[in-house]
Amino acid sequence: MIRYLLGRVFGGLITLFCVTGLAFFATALAPGNPAAVLLGNMATPERIEAVTRQLGLDQPLPVRYGLWIRETLAGNLGTSSVSFKPVLDLLAVAAFPTLQLALASLAVAVAVAIPLGLLLAQNRNSWWSRPMSSLITIGISVPGFWVGLMLIVLFSVTFRLLPSGGYVPPGRDLLGNIRSLVLPVTTLAVYLIPSLVRFVRVTAISVLREDYIDTARAKGVAPAAILLRHVAPNTLVTTITYIGLQLGVLISGAVVVELIFSIPGLGRLGLNAVLNRDYPVVQGVVLLAATGYVVVNLAIDLAYALIDPRVRAR
Amino acid sequence: MTDTPLATPSNPHRQHLFGFLLRRSPLAVVLVGVFMLAAIFGPWLAPHSMTDTNLSAALQGPSATYWLGTDPLGRDVLSRLLGSAQVAAQAFIIVVLIGGVFGTALGLLAGGLGGWLDLVVSRLVEVLQGFPTILVAIVIVALFDPSLTNAMIAVGMAAVPDFARVSRSVAIQLRDREFIQAARGLGAGELRILWSEVLPNMVGPLIVIASFDGAQAVLWEASLSFLGMGVQPPAPSFGSMLREAQGYLAIQPLFAAIVGLAVSGVILGLNLMGDAINDYLDRGGK
Repeated sequence: MIRYLLGRVFGGLITLFCVTGLAFFATALAPGNPAAVLLGNMATPERIEAVTRQLGLDQPLPVRYGLWIRETLAGNLGTSSVSFKPVLDLLAVAAFPTLQLALASLAVAVAVAIPLGLLLAQNRNSWWSRPMSSLITIGISVPGFWVGLMLIVLFSVTFRLLPSGGYVPPGRDLLGNIRSLVLPVTTLAVYLIPSLVRFVRVTAISVLREDYIDTARAKGVAPAAILLRHVAPNTLVTTITYIGLQLGVLISGAVVVELIFSIPGLGRLGLNAVLNRDYPVVQGVVLLAATGYVVVNLAIDLAYALIDPRVRAR
Repeated sequence: MTDTPLATPSNPHRQHLFGFLLRRSPLAVVLVGVFMLAAIFGPWLAPHSMTDTNLSAALQGPSATYWLGTDPLGRDVLSRLLGSAQVAAQAFIIVVLIGGVFGTALGLLAGGLGGWLDLVVSRLVEVLQGFPTILVAIVIVALFDPSLTNAMIAVGMAAVPDFARVSRSVAIQLRDREFIQAARGLGAGELRILWSEVLPNMVGPLIVIASFDGAQAVLWEASLSFLGMGVQPPAPSFGSMLREAQGYLAIQPLFAAIVGLAVSGVILGLNLMGDAINDYLDRGGK
């Protein structure tokens, strides 16, 4: 168990090291001298040289990477080269809408996909099983952001029921907040649901073939009770790990959904920063998202070890 | 698509791959066929120019002149879809090349040679798989420039773990089979065995992965071009067309609907094709 966890933490640290390295070099290798950018019109060769030395830009790259990590750990992520606001403040403001969007979408996706997958597994020989799997393949193939656009056409343009974009903070107007999130959350959930249903279905079918299910059936346990008490828990354990793998899809999808529905979250912040070449902000967004990804996956591994005694015994 | 000889155990009842696919999944054959025709012959088939604008004919619905209507700048949607198919095919090729070459090499060496190399590669695959592609894309596009190739390098990196996982597991299965031992007995080196004995025997599973990851490549090309990180206007692509369509959802919703159906059809075709080839391999072509 300890070895398992240490291995996971080590893997997570390696990922973070690679990603921070990537984020760092993205800035370090970027064209233009940051000292000259910082000085603007006041730049003279002497001043540029002074600031270059002050910022440590004359040091070799590995040293600069070390300095950068020290600054980052101290919470200093620099300032945006477009808005001149501290990157940390920008991230703090943008994090909330993204978290709300991602968590709500994940909750919706899990609430829809797990029961659906279990039902499909139990009725795998019924007549509607094949059309349903075709539907899942179609769901996997349709781009999520196009579904978002079609939802706008249907619910905002045609029926005028929901706003086509914009974000209302829950502190200002809770109902407005929920209304502004219905379409984005639906769109992002569509990214996750088809593959999650397919995974739950396949896993549950393999659980249904286990000997202990035959035993339960022979004892006369009702099919619904078998599904809930024996199949569901054993399916969920594996599904948790799968959700960890889908976290990347959630993060990528959130960026696209934020752009479609003009939600001022991390994705839109990062995207605008890329297109404006605002390197400190790009760095901050990538760093935060990657750290979140690694930390959540570690938490999932830990939960997995706690739930499944077979992993604990390792 | 020709009936490439797939390396499955020889079977007297084996039928040609194409015949099997046609019976198992006609929709996949039609969709992928149309996609390939459009990608190869698109520029010759296009009824109008892909880039010439004509503002007096903007945002029209389907008509006899413009079969699928026109976009906000009055360009023919059908012609631009044909151009988009070509871009999507390029995305497919770049991603499958990167994932196929690097992933297969890593998996083959890890599974075939084992030892510490296998440990390192397995860990690497574990760490890489599932990592948000968008973050890699953001870093690469920030470093270089938004372009199809740069965006697809990021997506190709996401395909590496898939190819590595499959080729590693096939290599492990084959490592101790008689024909490999025979080659070893004849004095062939391990690397030579991997190249000339193991690799040809994993072509089938690799084609399946190429089909699924190719579908992902088309999806990602559309997503990243939609975000402005891929193909740049005025060049047509599924993603950049959907981007243009978003501003006119209230005026001409058909434009977004048609482009989305087209890209969904391509991705669906590739996914179904992957499923069907997988079935073919499972059944040994029966």
